[in-house]
This record gives sequence, C-alpha cells and structure tokens, in this order.
Amino acid sequence: MTEEQVLGEISKAVAQILSDKGLPAPALTADTELLGGDLQIDSLDLAMLVREMEERIGFDPFQDGFIDFRTAGELAKLYVK
Amino acid sequence: MNERGLALHVNADAALVARGADRFTRGAVHARINELAAAFNARGVRRALVWSDDPVDLLRAIGAADVAGADLFIAHTNLPAAIVDEIAAQHGVQARIGETDTFVNAEAPPASGRIYMMTSGTTGKPKIAAHTLDALMSRARAGAKSAQAADSKWLLTYQPTGFAGIQVLLTAVATHGLIVAPEQRTPGGFAAAARDHGVTQISGTPTFWRAFMMVARPSELALKQITLGGEAADQATLDRLKAAFPNTRVTHIYASTEAGVVFAVHDGREGFPKAWLDEPPTGVALRIVDGLLQIKSANLMGGYLGHDAQPLLDDGWLSTADRCEIAGDRVRILGRDDSTINVGGSKVYPLMVEQFLLQQTGVVEARVFAVPNPVSGSLVGAEIVFAEDQDHAEARARVLAACRENLASYQVPRVVKIVDQINVRESGKKGAT
Repeated sequence: MTEEQVLGEISKAVAQILSDKGLPAPALTADTELLGGDLQIDSLDLAMLVREMEERIGFDPFQDGFIDFRTAGELAKLYVK
Repeated sequence: MNERGLALHVNADAALVARGADRFTRGAVHARINELAAAFNARGVRRALVWSDDPVDLLRAIGAADVAGADLFIAHTNLPAAIVDEIAAQHGVQARIGETDTFVNAEAPPASGRIYMMTSGTTGKPKIAAHTLDALMSRARAGAKSAQAADSKWLLTYQPTGFAGIQVLLTAVATHGLIVAPEQRTPGGFAAAARDHGVTQISGTPTFWRAFMMVARPSELALKQITLGGEAADQATLDRLKAAFPNTRVTHIYASTEAGVVFAVHDGREGFPKAWLDEPPTGVALRIVDGLLQIKSANLMGGYLGHDAQPLLDDGWLSTADRCEIAGDRVRILGRDDSTINVGGSKVYPLMVEQFLLQQTGVVEARVFAVPNPVSGSLVGAEIVFAEDQDHAEARARVLAACRENLASYQVPRVVKIVDQINVRESGKKGAT
C-alpha cells in the first residue's frame, strides 16, 4: 500500500472511532496531530486505532515496542513496507 | 513537623490548586473546609460522600470530614450515577459534596473517622477500601521526602477520585506544593497545563506517558521528577523518557491497593534489583513464591468495607497476582496471573463486563478477554453471540452504546467480534480454541 492509501485507511478508522462516540469526523491530512490537536480522541482510542490498522493492513509495526509518532502522516509511514 | 490533618492554615498564602484559569491558595481552601465542617456539625453529619473530579471539592470534603470527625466516601467519578446513589443510600450518607452540596436525612452508624475509597470490583459494584487520613498523610509525607519536593508543582494525571489521584493531592498538601488540574483531561490538555503552570512533577501510567510524549515538547517543560506507576514500566518507554528528558529523574513504582507504594526504582531499568529479595528497601519485604511476587509492608490498609480484612497469607505476607521472572541481576514483572485485564493502568474484571453484556437485549453469550496493545498494554476484547432475530449491525451499535454509557471508558470492549458461537473448553470455561 502507498502512504496515501494507508492515510485513507487511517481516516476511515478514525472516522469510525469518532462516529462510535457520536462525534463528527473532521477531514484528516498527513499533518493532522492524532492527539492534542482538534481530533477528540484519547489514548484508549489511539490504542484502538493502532489495533484496527493492524487488522486493515495485516501487520503490526509496533511488534518490538512503541515507536514515536505525532501526526497521521508519521503513523502512515510505519505501515508502508 | 508533625501536623495533624491537612494543616492548610500553615503557609496559607501559598497557591495550592490551579484548576483551569482559577487559582486557590491553601488559606482559601482552608476557609472552604471550615465552612463545610461547620455545616456538617450543625446538621450532625456522620457520613459524607464526595463525587467530583475537582481537587477543591475533594480537599473540602476530606478536610471537613476530618475536622468534623465524620466518615467520608470518595466515589469514583467513572461510576454510573445509579451505583453512587445506591452506595449513598446503603451506607446512610447524610451529605453529598460536589458542584453543589446537598444534605439528606439518613440513619448513619457512629462515625469512625475513616476515608472509604472505591476500586473496581469483580461484579458491577465497586469494592470499598477503608483508610484513615493519618495513614494516607504519613504515606504522602514519606513519599515526598525522596521526591525532590521543594517548590513542586504536580500535574494531576490520574483520575482525581482514585487512590493514586488522592495520593497526589495529599502529597502536594503535605509538601506545600501546587496541584495542577487541566481544563481538559486529554493528552493535549495535560501538555498545555504542564507547560503553562511550569509543572515539575508528573506521575502517570506508562500509557499516559506514551500518549503525553506524542503531544508534549520536552524543551517547553521544567520537569524535575517523572514517575511511572499503575502497570509495569517497560524498558522502551523508560528509555524514551530518559532520552527526551535527560536531566529529569525517572522513577517507576510498584504499588497495590492493599499496600500502597511498595517500592520505587530510580535506575532507569525495568523491573527491580534481584538483590532486593535479600536486602529490600525500608519498610517492605519481597519474595517470589511459585513465580508470583509476595510482599510484606507496614503500610497495609485497614481492610474492605463489608468484606474480611486483606487477603493475607497465614504468615502475614500478601500475595500479588504479578508473575515475575529473574533475569541476571534483575527481577522482571511479566504480567498478571489472574484473569484481570490491565488497560492503561486500570484493572478490568472480564466477568463484570461479560455480565453487563449478557444483560443487554439480544445478547445470548459473551466472552471478554485481554487483547495486547502497544499503546495501552491491553485492551478489552469481546466476542458476542446475538440471538437469531437480531440485526447484527443494529445490535452491535446498540450494545456498544450501552457500554459507553454505563461502563468506565477503560472497561468498554474496544475489539469486538460478533460470532456464531463461543467455544467452551472441556473445563467448562469459556476460552479461545
């Protein structure tokens, strides 16, 4: 998958998490900060997002421990092999 | 210095609480305590309950109960209102403290000057643990001695009504420090509050720290002490903290509801030194039996309300459910040996969540289990079997909405599969195949 495609999957997963909470899903770009920005997701939502991405993409980049990321684009890069 | 109670009249001009844009001095909180204590005395209140995330409400209630000699129940804010009402009625609570204070006529037993705190229980109802303010304050003072406490400013990362949150409040009180409560309890809200108030001490779970590091700019912070607790600290997170904050002391602690803080590790390595099994830190003793950590501490709490005292072994030791491994000169904590799920430092009992799911219309079977996760350690996973007449998409959305409304956020199943049947192993236990 390309970075752009992965970003699309992240957008969908984030939208699902927000809609489950009854919140609107704002547009997401590579520069969107996942925590601390305008998105109303907390660390457990983020945990869920990472799990959901593993299902969607088919592997877990965090297998050997947590890797730093701030933005949706930085997360997307981790899923591009 | 051997003061009784909160002693907020001492150093009364010093700031005690920064809550959003509001600030309260020790003297201001002291005055609010006296006001409430007078109301308790005037109405003969023997049992009060506080249900609020506001540090000022919590300190008001703790201080007033102490001055008036009343018992205090600190109700966890993640409990549903109905459960809190039930606890209040069951225990004869005569005053409820929060955004507004209310008084009711109720039959209360004679007061014993205890503080009752709630932990999640195996069923929907919380377990209620009995403490005394003297014991909590002496713990806070003892912990503060080693915590570079001068001019300390504490960020309140834990749920304020939980044991760890109360401990942070009382430590700030004991050391004449400042409690910083962010306007929004989100990673961004915590980072902004830490920056704006010059926070020097942050204690949080490893999950908190992983999220905090995603939003905080280390150069904007003046941290002197970083503490990790609530779940086992992993080497990767300890290393990242040390790299981001090279001049800050990084400590991870091992604590339990029954024994409070058992030990603190400052050397930046996960687990604890194997040498401690022979020469433990002051006040505790440690041993490993059948792979499980057992502890002995002078600081054990005073038992559970309505239950027998602490689950001690015959020889006075307390067995934890934490499985350990000795590797070289270190003891590593591998995880829980019981069925509890540790979600970002909060304990979840699968049975309680299963029972809740089974109460929902259309659910015929449910299994709840831990799903490992790089961010939060674990998440709650659930397999659900719906009755044949149920529309799966509709039922799934309805059941999850009910979970979000009635369970604490860490208890809500985050990885949900709708299945046709749940395997029952030969033992009769529900399990993965």
